[in-house]
Amino acid sequence: MLGPFLLLLMGALLAYCFFHNRFGFLFSKFLIAMIVWLGFMSLSFAASLNFPTLTGRVVDQAQIISAEDEARLSKILSDVEGQSTDQIVVVTLNSLQGTPIEDYGYQLGRHWGIGQAGKDNGVLLIIAPNERQVRIEVGRGLEGALPDGLAGLIIQRRILPHFKKGNLIAGIFAGVEDIKASLLGQTEEVALRARKPKSKVDPLLPFIFFAFWLVPFIYLISSLARDRKIGGRMPGGVVIVPASHGGAIDGWSGPGGFHRRSSGGFSGGGGSFGGGGASGSW
Amino acid sequence: MSKLISLIRVFYLSILFLGVTGLSGCGINNIPTKEEQAKAAWSNVLNQYQRRAELIPNLIETVKGFAAQEEKVFKEVVEARAKATSLKLPKDITTNPEVFQQFQKVQSQLSSALGRLIAVAEAYPDLKSSQNFLTLQTQLEGTENRIAIARRDYIESVRQYNTELKTIPGRWWKSLVYPDSEVMETFEVSAEKTKVPEVDFK
Repeated sequence: MLGPFLLLLMGALLAYCFFHNRFGFLFSKFLIAMIVWLGFMSLSFAASLNFPTLTGRVVDQAQIISAEDEARLSKILSDVEGQSTDQIVVVTLNSLQGTPIEDYGYQLGRHWGIGQAGKDNGVLLIIAPNERQVRIEVGRGLEGALPDGLAGLIIQRRILPHFKKGNLIAGIFAGVEDIKASLLGQTEEVALRARKPKSKVDPLLPFIFFAFWLVPFIYLISSLARDRKIGGRMPGGVVIVPASHGGAIDGWSGPGGFHRRSSGGFSGGGGSFGGGGASGSW
Repeated sequence: MSKLISLIRVFYLSILFLGVTGLSGCGINNIPTKEEQAKAAWSNVLNQYQRRAELIPNLIETVKGFAAQEEKVFKEVVEARAKATSLKLPKDITTNPEVFQQFQKVQSQLSSALGRLIAVAEAYPDLKSSQNFLTLQTQLEGTENRIAIARRDYIESVRQYNTELKTIPGRWWKSLVYPDSEVMETFEVSAEKTKVPEVDFK
């Protein structure tokens, strides 16, 4: 929230400088306009939802899961990822910030990038105990394995009965077990999904790019060297090192890419969500 | 001498390469990139509306089994669906305001007809508790949710694309290289509000 104000302040300061030095009246005007515009841009960003940090496979913002249960849940969830690369995250929220849980869910999933990039195989089990709402948010790639109807059934038949009795933790375990069962149920599909993540960018691409640049340069340099040996004159050359394009091609998919997982920690693989899943309230 | 010429040729060639990649740095590719993104978002919107249309016959069958006398509502939904699916969508729909408006109109008519169907179904306890109806309802809800998200994504990508066309480097590139790229239509918020009423399980 401080960002926009700082920017506006900077704008005012710059304006002051420019006016008192009396150079470039137009230029300074342009600059102020730009800075004010930037300030508004960041203001509009600040107005969007707040998301908790992704601290692990279980993000217990509402503090309803004991450390022991959290460890047990995390174990189940990491087993699933080990078998099929599907990422499931259980998240409890203090507040939905006035948004419908369907709107919050897919944005949270995209924000964290749950699921592998290109496979979009992430699932969120979202519990908002204060609003008494629950949702299973299903990534695009799993809408076949866990269709809306099934997700709705899991919520109605398995999760809500426990929740209605006030036993949140039992409902969470029941839901996670069923999500796991439906994801791992079709063994052939699981094997297909478990294959190496489909990276959008061929890992060879940067090298090809580099080679593409390198050949003319080697040629240039070698012929320069040859010319020097003969003693002829040559035009002065400028050696330009080409920048690597590896990062710029797939900049969108969030924390995805090559160094996806650090040791022990958990992070999303860059999957996306399109609104699959079901919700319920108790 | 010929060596010098080939040297110069290589030099020019690398300058050319540099120029081409340099141009992509000043946004010459932004218009086609954003245009393609917006088109992809649009086909997702169509996809989700299609999915909803495919859900309807099943839904009507199920409701009919319990509430056959509600002829009027069925007729409304069937008509609205026929209107929505028979609307011929020209290729340039995203840049054609009239067709776009019409598309939006028939889809929102279908939305409200569906809303009435669900409201009618609420009055039949047997229907409401039937497993089949419950599943269909969840599917319909999910589809409406996907439509809303697809629309939002489309609005966002069109916003980016239109901004690119109207702001400075993009504006120049449009007049120089992409004279055919036109501003795309976007959904109105008022239509967004006419959603099927939320169904809650209580």
